[in-house]
Amino acid sequence: MSDTPQVSVVVPISERHDRMDKLYSIYAAELREMKQSFEFIFVVDGAFPLAVDALKKLQSEGEPIRIIQFARSFGESMALMEGFRQAKGELILTLASYIQIEPKDLHKVFDAYNAGHDMVITRRYPRKDPLINRIQASIYHYVIRKLTNTSFRDITSGMRLISRKVLSEFVLYGDLHRFLPIFAFQRGVNVREIKVGQRKEDTQVRVVNAGAYVRRLLDILTLFFLVKFTKKPLRFFGLIGVGLGLPGVLIIAYLGVLRLFYGVGLADRPFLLMGILLLVFGFHLFSVGLIGELIIYCHSREVLDYRVKKIIE
Amino acid sequence: MEPYLSIVIPVFDEEENVGPLCDELCEVLESVDRPFEVIVVNDGSRDETLARLQAIVDERKAQPAGQGTIRVVCFSRNFGQTPAMQAGFDLARGEIVISMDGDLQNDPHDIPRLLEKLNEGYDVVSGWRKDRQDNAVTRTFPSRIANWMISQIASVAIHDNGCSLKAYRSSVVKTVSLYSDMHRFIPALATSVGARVGEIVVNHRPREHGQSKYGLTRIWKVLLDLITIRMLIHFYYRPLFWFAGLGFASFVGGLAFALASVVLYMQGEVGLMFLTSSLLLFSLTMTLVSWGLLGEFFVRLKKKRTVTMI
Repeated sequence: MSDTPQVSVVVPISERHDRMDKLYSIYAAELREMKQSFEFIFVVDGAFPLAVDALKKLQSEGEPIRIIQFARSFGESMALMEGFRQAKGELILTLASYIQIEPKDLHKVFDAYNAGHDMVITRRYPRKDPLINRIQASIYHYVIRKLTNTSFRDITSGMRLISRKVLSEFVLYGDLHRFLPIFAFQRGVNVREIKVGQRKEDTQVRVVNAGAYVRRLLDILTLFFLVKFTKKPLRFFGLIGVGLGLPGVLIIAYLGVLRLFYGVGLADRPFLLMGILLLVFGFHLFSVGLIGELIIYCHSREVLDYRVKKIIE
Repeated sequence: MEPYLSIVIPVFDEEENVGPLCDELCEVLESVDRPFEVIVVNDGSRDETLARLQAIVDERKAQPAGQGTIRVVCFSRNFGQTPAMQAGFDLARGEIVISMDGDLQNDPHDIPRLLEKLNEGYDVVSGWRKDRQDNAVTRTFPSRIANWMISQIASVAIHDNGCSLKAYRSSVVKTVSLYSDMHRFIPALATSVGARVGEIVVNHRPREHGQSKYGLTRIWKVLLDLITIRMLIHFYYRPLFWFAGLGFASFVGGLAFALASVVLYMQGEVGLMFLTSSLLLFSLTMTLVSWGLLGEFFVRLKKKRTVTMI
């Protein structure tokens, strides 16, 4: 490869993956069709020798492929971040490590980008999954839409097209890669979700286990904390702190009045303990909110609350 | 040429108002006879505001050069008034920065008087809409209460914190940062970093075009922000002091319970409730002091913010 490619395709390879040569060939063919120069960056997040061998073979045939092997599994967010760091193209296309989306719909994604959106995400529609999965996914997305005031219907879809400049503003860790469109939207990036066809490979081998549900619940909790705490910690913690501490104060006051004016003894009343405990809880939570607010105030200079599109002068 | 004055105007859906506002403003500013810039921040307007602004900028360029320029900053979507104002402050290049509303309710003719007052040695001069032209129930009355509370809690003695028409030395707006819905607290925050705050009575005109974007819902937010501000102003410089104070109070409580249980023990009884309560309060003391130390650590990481006065 002599000159920089237009598109860098980043594929994090995780536990669930299809045959890499197949995945590469169908998307590469489509990109060639669209006359885009491209490179593929495969980030191998774990030990998957079969996939790596297949990729090495393609590489030796002269295909524009780079392989990054992680020493152990670091998670999809880390894999994506490393891929982004290595990417040379101005445009970055991410793909899941299994074939999710009809390759022929790839041009729709590029069309939407060229229409002036900085980030294009895909919604698999119509869904071909089993009913139970569809119900679960729609509840999940409903909660997220309400929580974050966005309108996305499929944030788990792996195919996203993003300009590298925009991407460089975000730091992903843990499971946050799924929420990238939401963070981007909140920061004022022009995000567009478009409908694409779902491949049958995407619907296979879905063992719906309890773990999947727990993970989704944790996702929503994470998002809830990020949305509620990072802007106004005192509003949140303070409210809970007052909600717990106030009953505590009332209980102590009530017992105090009984002791002082009616001579009712305190020593054998577990109710006193309840009051003190609530008070202690209340103070703890309030302090957390206060410290949070302090940290945000210290750093408010570095956090931009707005995004300027252009300046006319 | 570096401007002396920067006027910051956040606008959101004000297509009817931006034209007359810019005309009136430029006329007044030309009479001040110092180089100026007008920064209009278009906060994701959905109507013709942007097109009108573009036309104004083009027209101004075509004219023989006056004393000033108009810059239009376009947000990628609607972010709210405080971020819009902050963007204007961040981009302002003038020695003196003046903020005002984009709805023509502030009178540009008050600007020379604001400048005069500022040059008497103030760092912030706030407008006071003494004769307010708004709905009494939903706007004027709640705002009175809010202002009274702000002056009590944040110890700034001005009547009208919510008035957008204010003049600042640029050192103030470059020091005090706004986040969330904090723009009405600039005088309070500025006082906390040592700025001198004054006010003058300004003209307030009824709204002629467009809709007001405020309602009663913001009062709750203002109240919560008020508590936050109070905390910040007092805690920011000495977090350990305040936390240690609270910790001391809880230590005294714990000590009292501990003594009570000792007294009971002397009488041959076991005061389990007292003993546990005292331990709980002691543990709260420890935690509060630790939070205070942590707070001190965070604040120390940053440089102290103070406005240097000459």
